[in-house]
Amino acid sequence: MKTVIPDRLQEFFIGFTDEFEVKVPVLTTEGERVFASPFDGPPALSGGALAAKPTAVFFPQQDGVISIGSEGLLHASSAKPLFVAGFTPRDLLCLRFIDRFFAEGYRDDIYFSRRKGALIAAVSGFSGASGGFVPLSGGACDLEFVFDGAVWIVVPYSEPGKRIAARIPDDAADDALAALLEKSGGCVDEDAAIIQAASKLLLNEMVPDRFWDSVAESCIQCTGCNLVCPTCTCFGVQDWRYPDRVERSRMWDSCQLEGFMREASGHNPLGTEGLRTRRRIHHKLAADRTKWGEISCFLCGRCDAACPTGIGIVAVSRMIVERFS
Amino acid sequence: MARTTSPAEELLYNPCEAEIISVADLTPDEKLFSLRMTDNRPLGHLPGQFVQLSIPGYTEAPISVASSPTRTGFFDLAIRRAGTLTAEMHRKVPGDTVGIRGPFGSSFDLTAFQGKDLLLISGGCGLAPLRSLIQYCQDCRDEFARVAVIYGARNPDALLFKNDLAEWRNSPAFDCSVTVDNVSGGDCFYGSVGLLPALIPPLEVIPKNTIAVVVGPPPMYRAVIEELKKKGMASSRILLSLERQMRCGVGKCGHCTIEHLYCCTDGPVFRLDQVEGVRGAI
Ligand SMILES: Cc1cc2nc3c(=O)[nH]c(=O)nc-3n(C[C@H](O)[C@H](O)[C@H](O)COP(=O)(O)OP(=O)(O)OC[C@H]3O[C@@H](n4cnc5c(N)ncnc54)[C@H](O)[C@@H]3O)c2cc1C
Ligand code: SF4
Ligand code: SF4
Ligand code: FES
Repeated sequence: MKTVIPDRLQEFFIGFTDEFEVKVPVLTTEGERVFASPFDGPPALSGGALAAKPTAVFFPQQDGVISIGSEGLLHASSAKPLFVAGFTPRDLLCLRFIDRFFAEGYRDDIYFSRRKGALIAAVSGFSGASGGFVPLSGGACDLEFVFDGAVWIVVPYSEPGKRIAARIPDDAADDALAALLEKSGGCVDEDAAIIQAASKLLLNEMVPDRFWDSVAESCIQCTGCNLVCPTCTCFGVQDWRYPDRVERSRMWDSCQLEGFMREASGHNPLGTEGLRTRRRIHHKLAADRTKWGEISCFLCGRCDAACPTGIGIVAVSRMIVERFS
Repeated sequence: MARTTSPAEELLYNPCEAEIISVADLTPDEKLFSLRMTDNRPLGHLPGQFVQLSIPGYTEAPISVASSPTRTGFFDLAIRRAGTLTAEMHRKVPGDTVGIRGPFGSSFDLTAFQGKDLLLISGGCGLAPLRSLIQYCQDCRDEFARVAVIYGARNPDALLFKNDLAEWRNSPAFDCSVTVDNVSGGDCFYGSVGLLPALIPPLEVIPKNTIAVVVGPPPMYRAVIEELKKKGMASSRILLSLERQMRCGVGKCGHCTIEHLYCCTDGPVFRLDQVEGVRGAI
C-alpha cells in the first residue's frame, strides 16, 4: 500500500499517459465531474459517483461500427489501452455485469477493443458527495484509491495494479486501512433489501398492469434513467452517408421510447407507456435475474438522481414493496 | 477515440459481401432474391435461421433464409418492401452486391423431426422461413413420415411462392393446402376460401408422432395453437418462429427481448412450451 497527497494526483496520473490513455474525473468549467485526461485539470476523485455512466468509457454514447468506403470495409486503428480511475465500488459491480453481458454468447469485439487491457481504479473511503463515506470495493479492480480524509491510500490488487502502485514513493502504514475496512463492514444498504424484495414480487407476478400505468403517468420519456445507467446496454444502429464513405455507428437507445420495439409491420410489443416502464424495471429486477442469475441493478443511484419525476428504480421498488408485499 | 481490434478477434458486426444472382417478383410488394457469398463459401445456415442483410447507407434488417441448405451454390431471401432498407433492396438488380452477417438464431431441430409426421403451417410472410424447411423435407423426404404444408394469405395476390405452391400441391411427397381470407371477382385461385385455422380440424393428427411448425403474423398464432391443442398436440411438439425488432441479431442491442428471452439468439424458433408462459411472447 502507498499514499498520495491530493496535490500530487495530477502529476501521478500524467506519469502514465505515455503508456495508457488515462481517464480521471476532472471538473468542467460548469462544475461537473466528467472523465477527461489528467492534462485537462487536477483529478477530482472525490465527490462520489460521476453523474454520467462510467461504463461509457467502454460503451460510449455513439461508437463507430464500420466504415464502408471505396477501399471496402475500414476499421479504426489501434490506440493505447485505457487506465480509468473513478469507478465507485458499485460502478465496479455494474462493470462486471456488462463485461459478462458483452462477452457471453457472441463476444462484442467493439466493446472489448477498449475494455481489453484496460486498468480500472476504484475510488472509495471519505470520497463521497460532501465527504460522505463510500465502502471499499474489496478488490474487484486493479487498484483502489481510498481517501482517509487527508491522503489517498492506494491499494493494489492485480499485477498491473501493483506495477502502477510501485511508482508511488510513499509507503502507507500497515494498518492504514484497518479503520476504513471496519467502517465498510458496518455499512448496511437498505436499498438492497428493497430491490431484492421488489424483484421477488415481480418474479412472482404480483405487480399488476394498473400499477405500471399509474407509474408511467409521471414519465416524460426524457430517457435519462437509461442514459445514466451503467448496466443499460441497448443501442440502435444508424448509417451516416458521406461523399466518399458510409459510417455505420451504434448509439444508446432507451426502452422508454415508443419506437424501441415497434416493428416495421406496426406491431409494437411495448405499445404503452405502462409496458415500457414495466420493461425498464422488470428487465433489471426480474428478466436479468432469470437470464443471468442476478439482478442487473447495483444501486449506483444514478437513475433515481436523474429522473425528474421521481420514478427511478429504487423509488419504484419502494412503491412495489409497499403496495404488494 | 480510436479502437483497438486485434486481427485475431472476430469482427462481429462486419458484413460479408454477397452478390445478387437473380431477382423475381413474388407479389406486388415482395421479391425473391437469390444470392451467393462472393468468396463462394456456403452460407452455412439451417432451416429457421436468419441473416442480417446490410446495405451501406440503409443499415441492416433481419431476413429469414428462404431456401434449404441442401440446395447449394446460392441462398434465397424473400423480402417485403416495408421501409427504407427493404425499399432499397427492391431497387437492386442481378450483379449488385449487399452485405450479409450470420446466419443467426435458433433453427428447427431436424434430428427431432426424423420419422415424424410434420404439419408445416404458415400465414402471410411466414412462408419465407418455412420454405427453407419445406425444401429440406422435399430433398430428404425419406427422413420424415407424412408432411403436410398448410398456408394461408389475405387474398390470391398476396400468396407467396405461387410456383412452389403449385409444385408442392402436385407432388406426392406432400399434402399441400392453401387458403385465402377473401377472393374477389376475376381472381384465379384453386385453393379454399376461409381463415387458416379452419384447415386444421379436418386433419388426421396422431399427436404423439406429430410435430407442428407455425410461422406467421402475431394474430395467427393463438387461433392456430388453439386448434392444434384441440387435436391433442402437446406444447413441446409445437414450434413457432417469432419476430421482433432486431438491430444486431447477436443478443446485444436489446431490441428483441421477450422478458428474459432474446428473440435473436434464444429464437427466432421456439418450442411453444418455452414461450407460452412468457408474457408478451404470443
Ligand atoms: C427473425 C426475423 C426474420 C424476418 N424475415 C423476413 C423475411 O424473410 N422477409 C421480410 O421481408 N421481412 C422479414 N423480417 C422483417 C424485416 O426485418 C423488417 O420488415 C425490416 O426490418 C424492415 O426494415 P426496413 O429498413 O425496410 O424498414 P424500416 O421501417 O425503415 O426500419 C428500419 C429499421 O428500424 C427498425 N424499425 C422499424 N420501425 C421502427 C420504429 N418505429 N422505431 C425505431 N425503429 C424501427 C426496423 O426493425 C429496422 O431495423 C424478419 C424479421 C425478423 C425479426
Ligand atoms: S441504480 Fe438505476 S442507474 Fe444505477 S444500476 Fe440501478 S437501474 Fe442502473
Ligand atoms: S428518467 Fe424518469 S421521466 Fe425520464 S424517461 Fe426515465 S422514468 Fe421517464
Ligand atoms: S437483435 Fe439485438 S439483441 Fe436481439
